[in-house]
Amino acid sequence: MEYNGGAVVAMVGKNCVAIACDKRLGVQAMTISTEFPKTFQATPKTYIGLPGLATDVQTLSEKFRFKVNMYKLKEEREIEPRTLAHLVSSTLYERRFGPWFVEPVIAGLDKENRPFICSTDLIGCINFAKDFVVSGTTSNQLYGMCESLWEPDLEPEDLFETISQSLMNAVDRDCLSGWGAQVTVITPDQVITRTLKSRQD
Amino acid sequence: MTSRLQQTKGGFNFDNHVRNTMMEGKGMGIPKATKTGTTIVGLIYKDGLVLGADTRATAGPIVADKNCEKIHYLAPNMYCCGAGTAADTEMTTALISSQLELHRLSTGRQARVVTAMTMLKQMLFKYQGQIGAALILGGVDINGPHLYTIYPHGSTDKLPYVTMGSGSLAAMSVFESRFKPDLSREEGISLVQEAIEAGIFNDLGSGSNVDIVVINSEKVEVLRNYAKPNERGVKEASYKYQRGTTEVLKTSIRDLVDIKETVNIHTSEAMDIS
Amino acid sequence: MDTLVSKYANSASSASFDDADNLGQNMAGWDAASQFALPAFDIPMVANPVDFLRAHTDASAENRIRIQHGTTTLAFKFQGGIIVAVDSRASGGSYIASQTVKKVIEINPYLLGTMAGGAADCQYWERELGRRCRLYELRNKERISVAAASKILSNMVYDYKGMGLSMGTMITGWDKSGPQLFYVDSDGTRMRGERFSVGSGSTFAYGVLDTGYDFNLSIPDALELGRRAIYHATHRDAYSGGSVNVFHVKETGWVFHGNFDVNDLHWEYQAQPKGPIV
Repeated sequence: MEYNGGAVVAMVGKNCVAIACDKRLGVQAMTISTEFPKTFQATPKTYIGLPGLATDVQTLSEKFRFKVNMYKLKEEREIEPRTLAHLVSSTLYERRFGPWFVEPVIAGLDKENRPFICSTDLIGCINFAKDFVVSGTTSNQLYGMCESLWEPDLEPEDLFETISQSLMNAVDRDCLSGWGAQVTVITPDQVITRTLKSRQD
Repeated sequence: MTSRLQQTKGGFNFDNHVRNTMMEGKGMGIPKATKTGTTIVGLIYKDGLVLGADTRATAGPIVADKNCEKIHYLAPNMYCCGAGTAADTEMTTALISSQLELHRLSTGRQARVVTAMTMLKQMLFKYQGQIGAALILGGVDINGPHLYTIYPHGSTDKLPYVTMGSGSLAAMSVFESRFKPDLSREEGISLVQEAIEAGIFNDLGSGSNVDIVVINSEKVEVLRNYAKPNERGVKEASYKYQRGTTEVLKTSIRDLVDIKETVNIHTSEAMDIS
Repeated sequence: MDTLVSKYANSASSASFDDADNLGQNMAGWDAASQFALPAFDIPMVANPVDFLRAHTDASAENRIRIQHGTTTLAFKFQGGIIVAVDSRASGGSYIASQTVKKVIEINPYLLGTMAGGAADCQYWERELGRRCRLYELRNKERISVAAASKILSNMVYDYKGMGLSMGTMITGWDKSGPQLFYVDSDGTRMRGERFSVGSGSTFAYGVLDTGYDFNLSIPDALELGRRAIYHATHRDAYSGGSVNVFHVKETGWVFHGNFDVNDLHWEYQAQPKGPIV
């Protein structure tokens, strides 16, 4: 976690969800890249955030892409976010005694367009939440920000401000995260992805 | 090529173990697994048994989940409280639950609690305590109510009242002073509630709400969030940011269009076959 | 007999200030040597103080003490004197404790010290250095040379070598022989030089500094070079950031040249057309 740094947060709004990540890739103290987003699209309305060891982030993002595609081919439908959460959980628990160093976050709308978010620990213990989930080296700071800023039934535009400010102010207290941010808001008829202007130190 | 894409056969995979040991040796930070620094209890009352649990999950000093479920379904007549490494209790009970379902289908009978207990202890013993699951198994079968504790190394106890987890001492103090055989259903539930609350208030690893499951030969009652002694106060002010506060460098919008296929069947006139 | 001797014997060096009755005698027996004695610290009663400290500060320690680390500081000589530029981030582990730390310690109007490593160590020892420099001035009726001042500092910390002090500092100033720049650290190293950068971001700062350096730089250009080198270091180094503080040391003493938030600098530099490097 601390080797490459990174932060991911997801929040529930009114008929929408948002997922945000920072864009730093570092090797301990040195920032290698500022174009390394950690959220990946799984289905049109589901995103998965993978903060952690960069090599595992890349391996797993491809692994999940493969698994989600296989699911789609076999089932002839998109995977539901809740199902994806269990797929992620099993994939991680398979390595119970030699884990991947990632703490995934899943955010999406299910087939009835109900918001769904969850996070798992590195060995796949799912944490279903109704409000927000946080992950990565900035998780402590994010917990603080989200506990105070989040409120129920935020409209997509307000959810965007809330999640963006939570993330940006959290990473400003973490050496290993930041250097830009990417926020995705998922609504029943739009997926809006924004790149934020943030501190570069 | 196909062999590369094949899904795994199941079971654990140790491929990352050597790498992770190396990384740990170099002093690189290893993320903490979610633990349930829990209070879980169970007792036998007149007609059956009551299981109870708090709802806090922790990751180090952080409360990872304020309202998690620690009483897991095993079979229609059995539930199991889990303490320890959250993923382990979750996955172990899920695995045994699935095996019990198959057992039921193959024997055509309700599974016995001792069967579930044996399956759990054999699995945990096999992994020599590496699977950090401390369980309270409760269920009613043809032999009546049974209450077991199962430790991570595979040892078991069968007792009329039990507690486990970091809050077990607080909870047991309630049981030791107040438990008596043949309690009524209401007395049983309230004693379990008090034991869990003793854990919630006196043990830092436990917190939030009380979950209760009551099982007797008649029915199973899942009383999720039976008591909520830690309801959060209402926020007095809103910290909502004004729209447009966040500076945006780039926006990309993808419209999701519902593609609906309408098939128009044209009924043409019958072919002239004269 | 011994008790009688000890009762009437009065040695200034052994007298303590604890006893109010002894105060007058202490004043009478004021001893310059005792004032110059090194401040004495309680050393933990263990075989190896470093191991003891490490046991409490390592990442693996259960309740570890996090000492402030991580910095970028630089100073260089040029035709107009010396430029000193530093960042302002304080971090404990990966947590950012402050973005507004003063890492240039103003020892006196003619002496500056920079701060890298343990913040407390730098502050304490440079304050102690300031006190000794003032005493020197009072006694000798002239300012201490930078060489002498930096040597006092290096000698002081050398006495505690191997006991866990962490300090990487540059002592700059202007004395009789002109602008002076010394690097002093807690290992006991003391070096005179033209150009130094210290801290976790120093490699990045050196990259910019060496590229843009010229002894004949004008004062505004030299200030800009220092500022820019620190900015680039804050961008690449996780443990540096906040803002840049720039100082100019000249014959009449040092002058503060402002505090610049690196976030503003970043977008300012981004907007500028990129000039040729050479």
